[in-house]
Amino acid sequence: MLLECKDFGIEFHDHDRPERAVEGVSFSLDAGEILGIVGESGSGKSLTALAIAGLLPRKKLKKEGEILFDGQDVLRMDRKALRELQGDEICMIFQEPMTALNPTMRIGLQVEEALRIHHREMDAAARRERALSCLADVELPDPEQVYESYPHQLSGGMRQRVMIAAAMVGGPQLLIADEPTTALDVTVQAQIIKLLQKINRKEKVAILFISHDLSLIRQISHRVLVMQNGRLVEQGEVEEIFEHPCKDYTKQLLSAIPRVEL
Amino acid sequence: MKVYLRKAISMLLTLLAVSFIVFAAFEIIPGDAASSRLGSNATQASVEALRHEMGLDRPFLLRYFSWLGGCFRGNLGTSYSYHMPVAGMILEKIPITVTLTILSMLLTMAVSVPLALLSAKYANSRLDRAVYAGNQFLMAVPSFFLGILMTWVFGMVLRWFKPGGYVSYKKDFGAFLGYLILPSVAIAIPKCAMSVKLLRSAILSEANRDYVRTAYSRGLSTMEVLYRHVLKNALMPLITFWGMAVADMIAGSIVVEQVFNIPGLGRILLTSIANRDYPVVEAVILLIAAVVLLMNLLVDLLYRRIDPRLRAE
Repeated sequence: MLLECKDFGIEFHDHDRPERAVEGVSFSLDAGEILGIVGESGSGKSLTALAIAGLLPRKKLKKEGEILFDGQDVLRMDRKALRELQGDEICMIFQEPMTALNPTMRIGLQVEEALRIHHREMDAAARRERALSCLADVELPDPEQVYESYPHQLSGGMRQRVMIAAAMVGGPQLLIADEPTTALDVTVQAQIIKLLQKINRKEKVAILFISHDLSLIRQISHRVLVMQNGRLVEQGEVEEIFEHPCKDYTKQLLSAIPRVEL
Repeated sequence: MKVYLRKAISMLLTLLAVSFIVFAAFEIIPGDAASSRLGSNATQASVEALRHEMGLDRPFLLRYFSWLGGCFRGNLGTSYSYHMPVAGMILEKIPITVTLTILSMLLTMAVSVPLALLSAKYANSRLDRAVYAGNQFLMAVPSFFLGILMTWVFGMVLRWFKPGGYVSYKKDFGAFLGYLILPSVAIAIPKCAMSVKLLRSAILSEANRDYVRTAYSRGLSTMEVLYRHVLKNALMPLITFWGMAVADMIAGSIVVEQVFNIPGLGRILLTSIANRDYPVVEAVILLIAAVVLLMNLLVDLLYRRIDPRLRAE
């Protein structure tokens, strides 16, 4: 088991009264598996993802339960040990590829940044070589040129590919994808989904795929978690959930998918 | 290339306009070089005679264009009060003011950037609040007052230097630099306070950007995130301010030069205005205007250097 989330919860303390954002979430993720989390906005799915990536703010917030990555609790690890995992074992890509890259830094340097931090034994030439091969792996045409480009010179789809290349550069065990295709065109969406599936097969990386889009979740996931209002509603194999949902909320969600009758 | 040609032409036109305005200003304010040289006891007839001798009785436009023609031939004219070629006089003063400006700017940069980074890293901490309070105070205190204060503390109480003991750069460059340290501190302090304030708030607003979260997700420490990612993006408003600050130091160190008894451009500008010595005033003002224009150009170039999106056109 790569990741185990036990009774995880978050309580915000930035207003007069504490607010529960996530409560009693338990699930696990095996190495090489693709786990989908589906839910409306405010369901707590992105907060759960950020918590696993160690990116929750440190103040004004109480974390409960445990998130074990390879047996270590990510929630209570000291910052230095957490940073060892971030970018090396646990990587994340985000919803907005337009703003997730630094506008004043060349793509190449951003792709190889994780190597700079985690693989100090590599020299500049070795890092460049690895970055170029990652850019080629995400099917970007002309990696050499992309390497020298700035983010504004690339399209949204290309930038999300760059984000994936930057995440995969250190050979992580877990890739967290938080609504990675929401900001993209439908055709580009399909390409990115295919790419994630290919990377999952080839690199044996586990993927936590978060989306509000049920058809995407069905297409990519092996197993699915359904979340609502910060709680886990239902979890199971993808076909089981989609064909035989147990909970009313899941049924409602499924019935909301528009169907095209042919 | 065409852009730079256009910029060069517009700079030249600006300088022409500035020179005309200065000339016109001397027409409007009472008194001229002849009356100020002869003093208040001179008779009307002797002033008129001198005015004729100096060519001041010619029509305004004629005088302006003959001066302008001289400029294009590389002759900035002769000072009325010092009877020396203006170009030589100014050239001699330039190293003094330029050194003072460079020292002040280096101090401003070296102190403000680390202080702003610290202040932003520990935002709302005790350190940050102390820096904020200090900044508010120092921004409000004018340079010349700081100069007077420092002369009193370091010159008269502690006796670290001799007040008014300016040494010419031609005589002893080391001693010259040493004497300029305190004046440049006095000039730098308010600029430094402003820089810290600008950079701190730019860093804090940049810190909420998505790419910062991406950087953290790669395992960078806060300091690495600030130095490698945030600083470059947060530098833009500061560079604009620094460009203005350099122009301001060249032109506006007059009072500090006066307080520390430094014979720089500021001093010569003040005495020349008092003497209605317009060839000198024209030259100094044109020099200041040229520095302002050049700084704007430099800021423009730096913007392009930092932000690749501006390089697109």
